[in-house]
Amino acid sequence: MLERRLPRWLAWAIDREQARRAPFLAHSPLFAGLPRRLLGRLGTRFLEKAYDAGEIVFHEGDPGRALFVVVEGTVEITQATPRGEHVVRTLSAGDAFGELALIDESRRSGSARVAEPARLLILYKTDFDALMDGEARIAVVVMRNLSRVIAAYARRNPVVVTEPAPRPEADERP
Amino acid sequence: MKPSWLVTIVGVAALAWLARGLALPVFLALTFAYLLSPLVAWADALAIRRSVAVGALFTVMIAVLLVGGLLVGPRMLTEASALLERLPTLAIQIDTSLDSAARELVEAAPVFRRVLPEGGGWVHRFVLARPPGDPSDFFEHAGHLFLFAILVPFFAFFLLRDMPQIVTAAMNRLPPEHVETSVAVWRELNGVIGRYIRGVVMDGLVVGALAALGLWAIRVPYPLLLGVFAGIANVVPFVGPLLSAAAAALVVLLTPGQGLAGVVRVLVLFLAIKVLDDTLIQPLTIGRSVHLHPALLLGSVVVGNHALGVLGMIIAVPVATVLQETVRLLLEHRRVLARRHLRSGAGRLDG
Repeated sequence: MLERRLPRWLAWAIDREQARRAPFLAHSPLFAGLPRRLLGRLGTRFLEKAYDAGEIVFHEGDPGRALFVVVEGTVEITQATPRGEHVVRTLSAGDAFGELALIDESRRSGSARVAEPARLLILYKTDFDALMDGEARIAVVVMRNLSRVIAAYARRNPVVVTEPAPRPEADERP
Repeated sequence: MKPSWLVTIVGVAALAWLARGLALPVFLALTFAYLLSPLVAWADALAIRRSVAVGALFTVMIAVLLVGGLLVGPRMLTEASALLERLPTLAIQIDTSLDSAARELVEAAPVFRRVLPEGGGWVHRFVLARPPGDPSDFFEHAGHLFLFAILVPFFAFFLLRDMPQIVTAAMNRLPPEHVETSVAVWRELNGVIGRYIRGVVMDGLVVGALAALGLWAIRVPYPLLLGVFAGIANVVPFVGPLLSAAAAALVVLLTPGQGLAGVVRVLVLFLAIKVLDDTLIQPLTIGRSVHLHPALLLGSVVVGNHALGVLGMIIAVPVATVLQETVRLLLEHRRVLARRHLRSGAGRLDG
């Protein structure tokens, strides 16, 4: 990055917040393997928002439009069950959630609620798509990491078939 | 609605009404900011402070404008003053042609006598012989231009420098659970408008350069002036290319020794540029930023012209795109809210 190459007397020209963002994103499993140059470009696409404890980031069933990365605080991912709300994961600084929104705008499989006052980085699919159009490497690396996340999720939650699906030829004919 | 919201809305509306004179400079500054935003984003990626990046960008631009003005300006001024000197002679030539054409038309179909204005010499009467305006008008126009030259870069500078802070402040004031969808609408529109503005400007530059080169190659007078006009007019969909071709054809028609063959050459040149623009240049510059049905596109240009004249025609396409996308996303958001309401109702029933 530029801040390492600049002489000390030019340090005032460096945006500290932006300079911290790239190394921070490098620690997220989703962006692991991206070179610093691309992390810098990716970092500019994130928006930041502060949340108070108890605030809802998104509801289960909403269309997913963005990926969130926790900068500070904790966020709980919950799912509604007949017995009430069930906490699936608790996320802290560096963790990302809502990753599937980068693939399509499918509905959220759980709700996200802020447990402790938090600052979140938000990457919208529109911005990510625009970035991928110009930088195929970002697409390759992030999609590979995303595949790993999905594979890990699938291994943790195997699909159990309880009864065979009805066959069309088994239908009763008049 | 809460009284505080009502007071805020009325206050904002009153402020907007008082500051309506600033609408055009703000619009131009926004356009300018959209044009420069990729360069500022590039500096952001290098973690250079925005104020430093935008300041450096403006300094470079002023230098480029000065050098460009020194290189191309004198030639443009020469062409423009030559055209202005020839204007009275050209007006007489056009009037003579128009008068004889009108006489023939009225003789062939007397019904046109009611439609056409009385007497001849239309260009001289309606364009050149207008009563001179008040001298204060000149100073008013000059004052407006000077104000624009100061205000547009000034607003653009602060828009580029402070946009991230403005966005963060706006997001922190939005209800948290609506942030994702509301900001998604803005991000989508921001992308569409940015791509459209940058695409249109790039398209205009390429078309203008091609027109200037083509006109110079077929020996049409004032190629630089006509090329610049073709580039600027290209911003107006449908009408712009027709206007620039007509202007060049008119200049050829009134140039001794060019004749009808010259007009045909100019029309073929502009047709070739239009075909090239539609098939190659526009897909590369404007690309997929606009998803409007051609009928809606034409309709928006007509409505824009009716409402705001030339400015309306220029902004018609992005405004129609923004409206279409906003309606689509808001309808989708409404469906989501309805689904959420239904689920919470079902939850209460289950409970």
